[in-house]
Amino acid sequence: MIRLPGPRRPRSAAAPASGGAPGAAAAPPAAVLDPRAIERLHELDPTGSQGVVERVLRAYQNALARQIDEIDAARGADDSERLSRLAHTLKSSSASVGAVRLSQLCAGVERALRTQPPAALGAEVEALIHEARQVAAAVRAILVV
Amino acid sequence: MSPAAPATADDRTREKPRVLLVDDDEVTLMLTAIALRERGFQVVECESGKRALEILAETTPDIVVLDALMPEPDGFTTCRLLRAMPGFENVPVLMLTGLDDDASITRAYEAGATDFFVKSSQWSLLDGRLRYLLRASRTRLELERSKAKLARAQDLARMGSFDWRGQGRLVLSGEALRVFGYPPAESTGLRALLRMVPAEDRRLLVRMLRDATKRGSVFTTDVPINLWDGGERVIHVEAEPEFNEQGQAIGYTGILQDVTDRRVAEDKIRHLANFDALTGLPNRRQLIWRAERALDHAKRMQHQCALLLIDLDRFKVINDTLGHHSGDELLMEVARRLRGCVRHSDQVLDGAYELGGLRSHRSLEAVGRLGGDEFVALLPEVADEHDADRVAQRILEVTREPIFVGGQECFVTASVGVAMFPRDGGTVADLMRNSDVAMYSVKGTGRNAAAIYGPQLAGRGREKLELETALHKAIERNELVLHYQPKIDVRNARLIGVEALMRWQRGGRLVAPGEFIPLAEETGLIVPLSEWAMGEAARQARTWQQSFGFAESIAVNLPSRLFERSNLIDHIHHCVTTQGVPHRVIMLEITEDNLMKDLQNVIPALHRLNEIGVEIAIDDFGTGYSSLSYLTTLPISELKIDRSFVRDLGVSPQSSAVVTAIIALARSLGLRVIAEGVETLRQMEVLHRLGVVVMQGFLFSRPVAPGDLESWLDQSVRSRAAPWIGQATELEAAAEHPRAVSGRV
Repeated sequence: MIRLPGPRRPRSAAAPASGGAPGAAAAPPAAVLDPRAIERLHELDPTGSQGVVERVLRAYQNALARQIDEIDAARGADDSERLSRLAHTLKSSSASVGAVRLSQLCAGVERALRTQPPAALGAEVEALIHEARQVAAAVRAILVV
Repeated sequence: MSPAAPATADDRTREKPRVLLVDDDEVTLMLTAIALRERGFQVVECESGKRALEILAETTPDIVVLDALMPEPDGFTTCRLLRAMPGFENVPVLMLTGLDDDASITRAYEAGATDFFVKSSQWSLLDGRLRYLLRASRTRLELERSKAKLARAQDLARMGSFDWRGQGRLVLSGEALRVFGYPPAESTGLRALLRMVPAEDRRLLVRMLRDATKRGSVFTTDVPINLWDGGERVIHVEAEPEFNEQGQAIGYTGILQDVTDRRVAEDKIRHLANFDALTGLPNRRQLIWRAERALDHAKRMQHQCALLLIDLDRFKVINDTLGHHSGDELLMEVARRLRGCVRHSDQVLDGAYELGGLRSHRSLEAVGRLGGDEFVALLPEVADEHDADRVAQRILEVTREPIFVGGQECFVTASVGVAMFPRDGGTVADLMRNSDVAMYSVKGTGRNAAAIYGPQLAGRGREKLELETALHKAIERNELVLHYQPKIDVRNARLIGVEALMRWQRGGRLVAPGEFIPLAEETGLIVPLSEWAMGEAARQARTWQQSFGFAESIAVNLPSRLFERSNLIDHIHHCVTTQGVPHRVIMLEITEDNLMKDLQNVIPALHRLNEIGVEIAIDDFGTGYSSLSYLTTLPISELKIDRSFVRDLGVSPQSSAVVTAIIALARSLGLRVIAEGVETLRQMEVLHRLGVVVMQGFLFSRPVAPGDLESWLDQSVRSRAAPWIGQATELEAAAEHPRAVSGRV
């Protein structure tokens, strides 16, 4: 089930039927995913008939999994340009789904890469990957894959 | 958040705008697409610039939304490529950039993006921006179309606009340049344009420009220019001053228009209104205008003017004989000759005249055509009447020269009347009238001459005018009567007919024909008079027929112009049939002079008259043309020997010779002969001896009133009481008259 704060709890088609397992998501999703962002997604599809929230989150999930690997690879290859582009893309898509902290980390890395090589940003990139994994887990928890 | 951004009615009624959305991040792409669709857009999603260009090759969206940062081709490159595609020069392109990315914003504009937008999940902002761009794009498109339309309209109207900021900073629109014959992108200055204006107009124009700019006033004028290709144009300029916030004039803005065609049309109209279409001479209107100016000038400068009225003699005959086409040709030739007699000026004159100098009245001098065969020569300055007379004589000379028209030579003469300003009249109307009086005095004394107006003419004119007016009313007032003079066959003292003679009972006085017939002929009143006479004669014939069995003919005098009238036959037919009398009751008398004047016109009428039984007599015979050969071809019945020969019979031997000759001629042609003016028994005797047996004159009877004819018959013929009867009978008995002519031989 998709955990959502706020007044409206839509009978989302995206909401997995397996509901009623709040404890399953140990990590508090609110910490990595801003509920207001999810709410905005719902507003795009108020009746839920288009399954917008699920579609977006699945797309994000797929992209995120791929991007984590790519970022890891780019870091290893010291490929500044590739790393920068990945950070840029992840920055905006993360913001869209409410992964605010991840988006900020991406922005930081993107900005730092303009002046520094990837090698100098080991910690920041590590933090980014870490956060990305947290977000992936949170999304997975929502979607109850 | 409201579900949809405010949209104008226009937006809503319009079809859903089509958006091409390009973003390599599938999450953003998907979200944005969903958000826009929810707000009423049709969205085509696309994850790369390369793919976007492929889509654009096939369809044209209303707007393109491009993510700036993408793998090559990135947003900037895609935008640049897109702009290079035909048809996409003006499609709005919105570039999506990061919040902190100033460089991208600059690059976006450089790549040809219409606007940039910082990515945001506030979808209403994006919606609003897109709709704004679409509206702007539509407005811009409309503006482009409207500009194109304006340019086209200006082009068609040969119109253009300009801005002038003084000191030679003149900016002309492409259309305005075209008006001056320049290619659309050429640059030019006021100086160069002024050089196209002819020097004289240029000075005037520059003065006007200075005045207008000094006073900051509106400037409107028509300027003639010479194009480089030699063409002449008239440019209409309308400019109004522009002011800055402080109210100071900072220049002019205005329009230019090529009004050459309009000017040409206006000139043509002015020409048509002022000049005679046939001869090209000034018409009545223009002449009067010129004459008025000339009089003004003459008054100011204390000199004399002359007005010459020229009327062609017997033009109508030429027109009727040779046809109107030849008549027109003749008028054109006469016009050409008359022009040569004065310093003719062809300028169309109106306000322009006022600009001239002291001698400008010379340009008023002209020959004009008043209409028909009437011309006028205006001499704006003459020293005296001899000056005017010299011109009149020249006019007579040039018109006398034979004119070749319609395949033959024509001989034309003119009558010219001259009136002098100020002596003969202070206004144009007075001068026209008095030159007319002078001209008519020429007509009355044999034509082909000139006369200068004098008060003695005016007196006669006034008397004549009175008489004419009265004569007009004579018919309707029943003031006209016919008196009748018997024609007698002296052999047997028999009445063989009467001649009708017109009398005018005017205010208790009987006016003799000699006093009013010439005037009637001159004014054309002779036509209704003669028509009346025929009707009256027919009526009288019927009355006499009923009262005493009158069965002879009544001879009516007819001027030649009546023979020209196509309805003469109809009229006679009508007169006799309404009275129930035969056609032969009417006999027509035409004088030899009249006959000869219009022979060509008269002959057909004579033939037709003969066919219906109306006989023709030639009056005053022997006084006219000496050549008598024409008589052989004419269908006439009777010759009336002129009274002058009768009067001199027994006095001058020539008279009897003439009478003898006439009788011989008549016999050979089978014509009756009748002697007029027989007053004495002696005359009767001689005529009888010479072979004339039909006579008319005081000896037998004066012309008598209709009611008196029967009593005359009773008293003198039937009673055989008249003195001439005895003598005539004696003569008849005494002599054999082998030469006697009685009726057709």
